[in-house]
Amino acid sequence: MDDLYAKFLPQFVKLARARVDSALTTVTRRDHAATALIVRELHSLAGEAGLLGLSDVIPLARDGEQKAKQLELSRAEADAGALVSALRRLERAIESIATMDRSSEPPDG
Amino acid sequence: MAITNRGRFIVRAEIRSSKDTVISYGFDLTSTSIFVVTEWHAAIGTPVSLRLSFPRILEPIDIAARISDIRIAGEPGEPGGIRLAFDAGAGEVGARLAALLERVNAPIAMSSPEDRPCRVLLVDDSWLIRDMFAYGTAQFFERPGALAVDHAEDAEQAWGKLASSTYDLVIIDYFLPSEDGASLIARLRRDRRLAHTPIVAISVGGRDAREATLSAGADVFVDKPLVFRDLFNTLRMLAERRERARPVADRKAILVFDDSPFALALTRAALESAGFEVAIAEDLSSFERQRMTFDPDLILVDVQMPEAFGDDIASTLRGWHGVQVPIVLVSSLDQCELERRAERAQASGYICKGEGMTELVRRCRELLEVAR
Repeated sequence: MDDLYAKFLPQFVKLARARVDSALTTVTRRDHAATALIVRELHSLAGEAGLLGLSDVIPLARDGEQKAKQLELSRAEADAGALVSALRRLERAIESIATMDRSSEPPDG
Repeated sequence: MAITNRGRFIVRAEIRSSKDTVISYGFDLTSTSIFVVTEWHAAIGTPVSLRLSFPRILEPIDIAARISDIRIAGEPGEPGGIRLAFDAGAGEVGARLAALLERVNAPIAMSSPEDRPCRVLLVDDSWLIRDMFAYGTAQFFERPGALAVDHAEDAEQAWGKLASSTYDLVIIDYFLPSEDGASLIARLRRDRRLAHTPIVAISVGGRDAREATLSAGADVFVDKPLVFRDLFNTLRMLAERRERARPVADRKAILVFDDSPFALALTRAALESAGFEVAIAEDLSSFERQRMTFDPDLILVDVQMPEAFGDDIASTLRGWHGVQVPIVLVSSLDQCELERRAERAQASGYICKGEGMTELVRRCRELLEVAR
């Protein structure tokens, strides 16, 4: 299973970055299609993180998903702000994983 | 447990007299005679050469016979035709007929849950015919999963399904929008992979439709209105001849349905390295195709998907299609919510994605062990 994680972790990081970037770009739109897209991206991200056992990422992705659902209901500026904050926390968690993954690679030479 | 046979068996009948050759269908087969639906007739006592056949059920039998009775068409469901009495002293032919009749009249044995369903494609643009077929299937087959019926509304849709799936029988209505049933049948017969698929043509078009579809290559033509019990009895016999499923113990095949390509790739890699045979599907179309052709022993289905919720898919597979293999919901939903959905959908269980791949693999082993 370790080989599997080693193979799929870089792919997850790349995909997760794309999902979070998409959500951050879309959050300014506030229409139903936009928030629905964000909900889907974060739900998928939570699932993918779960399959890899990334316990730090899962609750952050779920939190983002809930914030997106709240924004869909309220369309309020404050909720948009809360969502962006959640996405930034998620972004940092993903970068932390990317850093750990790079540091586990064998040194050159 | 056995149930009483209901209905007659439909068979292709080719009649050759000194002047004519007629191809039609027959039923009410006994050891001494058969009724053949046809507009052709000659005098009572006229000798004919009769060939009876049906793909995968009845190898052609050639019998000498004579016209013993003529019936004019009556009410719908009472077709006109001739009764042909077999000449005495049929010898080996008589023995083969007797063996066939023994099978036809034998009580219907309850098929095993491990048996692969008999797969039928019904091509008819009438939703009511499709519903009647579905209803009749549920009434006739004791085990819901014994017959798996797929539908197409027109020739193009049918062709799409035939290109991606395998069927034990195709039932084609003659009157279809755009391209008629005879044209579709001819196309099927020209295709190397599909050329030997048993085809039953159906229609209200009578003789013209019969001649067109049989000429195109249909094995049997049956007039509408359909006598469903006769058709299903024939399907039952076809189902007995299909290739039986491999024993569960020899095969550990899992079909995974998820709209995330990453989740699919990871899950497949993990399950394959654990020794399972895996197929994946990213959308409904590929899922249904894989389900029919891959014939999985276990189905894992994600819940939150764009085309449909996984629990709705699971409950439809269970309740409508009678799928017996374990179906498991896999999701990052909250555990309580996932458990509730799985129970409501009659799923075999659920797996939280948050528990990781090791747990997913363990649960799959456990479920397949229980299913044996």
